[in-house]
Amino acid sequence: MRALAVAATFGVLVALVVVYFIFFLESGPAAIAATRGSDGSADLTLQTVPSYGHHPFPDWVSYMAKDPQGKWEHTTIFKVPAHTLIKVTIYQYDGDSGLRNAFLSGVSGTTGDIETINGTVEHGINANDAAHTFTIPDIDVNVPLPGINPNAKNPCGTAPCSLAEAHNTITFSFRSPGPGSYRWQCFVPCAAGFLFGNGGPMQTIGYMSGLIEVS
Amino acid sequence: MESASISVSERRISTPSAWSQVLGFNVIWAVALSIGGYALGHWLGSKIGINSAPQTETDQDDVAILMGLGFAVLGWMIGLGFFNYPLARIAGRPATLREREEHGAWRYFRLCTDHKVVAIQYLVAVLFFFFVAGLNAMFIRSELTSANATLIPAGNYLTLVGLHGTMMLMMMSAGVLGPLGNYLVPLMIGSRRMAFPRIESLTMWLTVLAGFVLLSATLLGGFPTGWTGYAPLADQAAAGIDSYIVSFALIGISLALVGVNMIATVMTLRAPGMHWNRLPIFVWGMVTTSILAVLAAPVLLAALIMVVFDRTVETSFFITSSGGSPFLWDELFWFFGHPEVYILALPGFGIVLEILPVFARKPLWGYRLAVAGMFGVALMSFMVWQHHLFMSGINSDLRPFYMFTTELISIPTGIIFLNGMGTLWKARIRFTVPMLFALAFFFNFLIGGLSGVFLSDVTSDVVTHGSYFVMAHFHYTIMGGLVFALMGGIYFWLPKITGFNLNETLGKVHFWAMFIFFNLTFFPLFAAGMLGMPRRVDSYNAELHTLNVFVSVSAFCLGLSMLVFLINLVWSVMFRRERAEANPWQSKSLEWQLPSPVPVYNFERIPTITSHPYGYGTPEAPAVADFGPHVIAGEGGLA
Repeated sequence: MRALAVAATFGVLVALVVVYFIFFLESGPAAIAATRGSDGSADLTLQTVPSYGHHPFPDWVSYMAKDPQGKWEHTTIFKVPAHTLIKVTIYQYDGDSGLRNAFLSGVSGTTGDIETINGTVEHGINANDAAHTFTIPDIDVNVPLPGINPNAKNPCGTAPCSLAEAHNTITFSFRSPGPGSYRWQCFVPCAAGFLFGNGGPMQTIGYMSGLIEVS
Repeated sequence: MESASISVSERRISTPSAWSQVLGFNVIWAVALSIGGYALGHWLGSKIGINSAPQTETDQDDVAILMGLGFAVLGWMIGLGFFNYPLARIAGRPATLREREEHGAWRYFRLCTDHKVVAIQYLVAVLFFFFVAGLNAMFIRSELTSANATLIPAGNYLTLVGLHGTMMLMMMSAGVLGPLGNYLVPLMIGSRRMAFPRIESLTMWLTVLAGFVLLSATLLGGFPTGWTGYAPLADQAAAGIDSYIVSFALIGISLALVGVNMIATVMTLRAPGMHWNRLPIFVWGMVTTSILAVLAAPVLLAALIMVVFDRTVETSFFITSSGGSPFLWDELFWFFGHPEVYILALPGFGIVLEILPVFARKPLWGYRLAVAGMFGVALMSFMVWQHHLFMSGINSDLRPFYMFTTELISIPTGIIFLNGMGTLWKARIRFTVPMLFALAFFFNFLIGGLSGVFLSDVTSDVVTHGSYFVMAHFHYTIMGGLVFALMGGIYFWLPKITGFNLNETLGKVHFWAMFIFFNLTFFPLFAAGMLGMPRRVDSYNAELHTLNVFVSVSAFCLGLSMLVFLINLVWSVMFRRERAEANPWQSKSLEWQLPSPVPVYNFERIPTITSHPYGYGTPEAPAVADFGPHVIAGEGGLA
């Protein structure tokens, strides 16, 4: 009887460990699928926010993504179809902190190697004006995102930010590669408080880095 | 030498009431006080670090977290009663050697100075954390059944790999020294105890705490560094790295203390007649491992303290722009890290060389050579660490020297192989489960050793560095070597430790499944590495998909083989309970001349050692020990 009790306790302990790890491992952000357009392309709508404002890292800078129902989700994992034109719109609400490597202030890998900033076509920006980048190193996509005017009267307070608050609208498109998982990240060291601005959100999926799942 | 004059009244073993056991100092109070300690430490730390830029902008206060973990360690030790004896001595109470050596299950949940209880506590703890780390390996292999990340988000995957590696390394370090070393060394040298019994118990409970502190990284955002904790990533990482730092520091302290205790025990508590040239080879394995632990672990501890300072009081030991250097971490870490590899290998050598003569029924071939080989490995292990840094941009003039020393270390290692093969030569081998594991050790370690030559060579390391080739290599040496040796040791000594036989058939099923699926899991990974598959990444080239699916399926079967061991252990010890003979293997070593399980005080009278324990095969071999009037143990060759 005592042996059975010990064995049962041991079994419960093992089950708890297994369940705990499954919950931990599955605790990452959910993936958001790009919306299919009528012309066969796919649309991704994103925003960058100066602070996400929620547990567990209320002060961390972050990307967010709009799901097909139009709701903003806190994720940086995007599902897109293979060999398709991906049209991206980013509402950029954060102030600039500047690039250390000016090479990344140029646009590359997008259709025509251009981006539009508030409707104006650009091949790049001043490196000191960069708030973030949207970069997929594997396919050489790099799009610098300029910061908002530091004197703006209505900067975004809490995520998700609304279009009534100060922002820049950036659009660009690129052709998705073959099926696979592609890491993307921001290359502006924007993690305030961390050593060289490179810790915390810069290293964490769901904030300033993520994955493009191409299928 | 220890005095044999312990009176019968001193040896009386008490059994306190259940209530006094629950209300006394034990693991329940330790858990409660460590949680309370964490809360108190965190609160104090948050007051100290209040309004600092790192605290307000990063949403993580390392001062608070590290102080919380520090206070948790204090609470853990207070709860287990580790401060009682020093306080009692300060209050003028008389000195006592031993404490809480009593009957009943509760002794396993508290500070106990009986080395056999500590060893069993160690064994259970280490097996539990092996299970956790093994489970992590199963999750890793599940993710790798797909060429792209599917099951586990990439950030969590990195933490998972880090948890698996760190926990395995931490627990493997304690894996033999703790359970088998603490149990067997006093018995093998004819002592009633370890030199420092309370420190022995402390090392065990610190190991347990280290395991749980490491797991707490999952509550603090994980850590991205793997088991090596490289700077400056460790300086930048989220708060989970604080758990890594504290847990590794606890293991470092524990390892150094185990080493001191083991060396002091062997130096001072040998029975009369137990000359150095009569020490069992397993004890030599423990001594050389302990020397490494004492010299290497403090370096790790110092490096971890420097990371703590970088993360809390803004020093810059590892920050280039402020005058520090990430290389400093690399040097300090691998000055510990490579001897650590031999902290894992030497106990395995000790176990297999102890097992071979028993089942070959021949004396250990080249006993003195084997001891020299172990010391050679220990010495050389401090001269090779920079081979881990060949690709890090070190001064290229250093490379040939470290390539040479690394390849040189294969000579003392080769001597150990010669000892094993010489012992087996023309032997009448009994293929018992422990012997099968010992033989498999040599097969696996040979592959691990030969593949290591490629990594020690600068030109081939350029190609294989950071790939699955490295991963396959160290799994062959650590799992194929030490884990197989440990399993052999468990099957060999468990009848002595528990007093019950393990089921032989299930043991053989376990062995063959583990041996076959171990090789099917890790051998193909050499190929994966040569084809460019990088470590620690959850996505890989689609052309390697079939190979990885094969490896994953083999790994799952390997995991199931460990389940067979677990079932055998639980069923044999808790349900079947077939009594073991005192000396079922007909061994001549001293521990086998005692009843199974061994009584609390080991020896009724400290024996006088009369011979070394490897006199197999000759009927006229002398007895190994004189246990007193009418008891002569280990007489004849038992051929």
